[in-house]
Amino acid sequence: MTAGSGDSQRAADRIRAFERAGSAEELVAATRRLTDCDDPLATVPQLVQVLGFNNPGAAVAAVDGLIAIGPAAVGPLLANLDAHNYGARAWAVRALAGIGDPRGLDVLEDALATDVGPSVRRAAASGLGALRLESLAEQEREGIRLRCLEALEAGRSDGEWVVRYAVAVGFEGLALPLSPPHPHRQRAVAGLSQLLQPEQEETLVVRLRAGVALKRLDNR
Amino acid sequence: MAGDGEPISEAEALEQLRQTDDQSRQYYAAWWLGRMRSRHPEAVPLLLAALTQRQPRDPGAGVEHNAVARNAARALGKIADARAVPELLAVLDDADDGLREAAARSLGELRATAAVPLLIRRLASGPAVAGAGRSDSPRLQEPCEAMLEALGAIGEAQAEVLDVIRPFTAHERPLVRSAACRALLQLTGETVWADELLQLLQHPQLQVRRAALMDLGAVGWRPALEPIRRTFAENSLKLIALRGLVEHGRGSGSGSEADSDDEALLMAMDALL
Repeated sequence: MTAGSGDSQRAADRIRAFERAGSAEELVAATRRLTDCDDPLATVPQLVQVLGFNNPGAAVAAVDGLIAIGPAAVGPLLANLDAHNYGARAWAVRALAGIGDPRGLDVLEDALATDVGPSVRRAAASGLGALRLESLAEQEREGIRLRCLEALEAGRSDGEWVVRYAVAVGFEGLALPLSPPHPHRQRAVAGLSQLLQPEQEETLVVRLRAGVALKRLDNR
Repeated sequence: MAGDGEPISEAEALEQLRQTDDQSRQYYAAWWLGRMRSRHPEAVPLLLAALTQRQPRDPGAGVEHNAVARNAARALGKIADARAVPELLAVLDDADDGLREAAARSLGELRATAAVPLLIRRLASGPAVAGAGRSDSPRLQEPCEAMLEALGAIGEAQAEVLDVIRPFTAHERPLVRSAACRALLQLTGETVWADELLQLLQHPQLQVRRAALMDLGAVGWRPALEPIRRTFAENSLKLIALRGLVEHGRGSGSGSEADSDDEALLMAMDALL
């Protein structure tokens, strides 16, 4: 890699190398090295900054790094959401979907319903089925799950097959941790059953994915 | 639906295609009817009429040569009504190569076996003539990629078809090589053509890697799962390719083995969302 600073694993050295990166390739390499240092938490501001650089290779590396860091990255991600930089916002949605922190719910709901990019809507849909609710009180969990279900149900009529595919994945993820009689699990099963019908879902791969989800839910 | 441009109804689209004063509205209406795969009884007759419209390119308006006819040809392929075949066949001999390209793709989508002799005739002169570069544009004499892909999609695998396609696997342009390998893999199932496509997944140009992804997906070549996952390209394109592997699956077992294959492919897709 080109943007190295010797073989130091230290975050401070790698951040310095990152600040010096000149070309697009150097930035990708320096971002990768940030995600692989001795103190990843210290690199969150730089990783969030990369999302706005219009460098897809570096942004992919930064999103992976932010997802690996997890909940500690959510505050900075939300604080830096930039309504005027579409690219940065799209990458932030992907990071929030991958982290699965419930604080990202508003952003994921909004992205699935309104984002112009199918790749952003599909990330939001799968993220809405993967929020980590274990640490919350039961009542709060119920409220969040209900909002996720409503968002996914609306996402079923998205014009892009890949978004509806992600909606099937989202329904499965949301239902799997719940006991079979739980009303939210039943509602997710109903949502998947609709994605299974050729009259309602024209894309074969979406119907197959919904079928696999239903098979897994029945087997538990 | 997000990203579909100005929302219009089917009735409005038909009306805008019927009028001929404003060609940009006709252009949009033809696209819309194809995109929505309109089943309205007037859609195909109106598109066939639009297919006969000819107009010069208007650089000021950013409109391509024969824009309305080209979009009509594309829409007729998406609507997939066999009534369109004779007119599309006639367009395969049009002087406008862009229109020939659109017609070839649509005839492929329609699996029109009647197009095979015409496609063979236009490609028979091989890479050196049909596949030669033009002096007036970066395009080739014939729209080779579209024509090769159409032959693959139509699925007639006689020796004379294969003989015409094979020389294009050595064309100087990697996108043409990719299209030729795709067609031969579809027609013969011979692994050698898949190997060529797998090589192109590692091509230094992103545009070529994207084309090879789409081509492996169009064939549904299941042994390509791992190479597709490793390809340096956008997840969106890998998802389209893997969808093809699921839906057209070739090159692997059947029965319960195919079921577990399906699930492995779907899990690979999940990981790309």
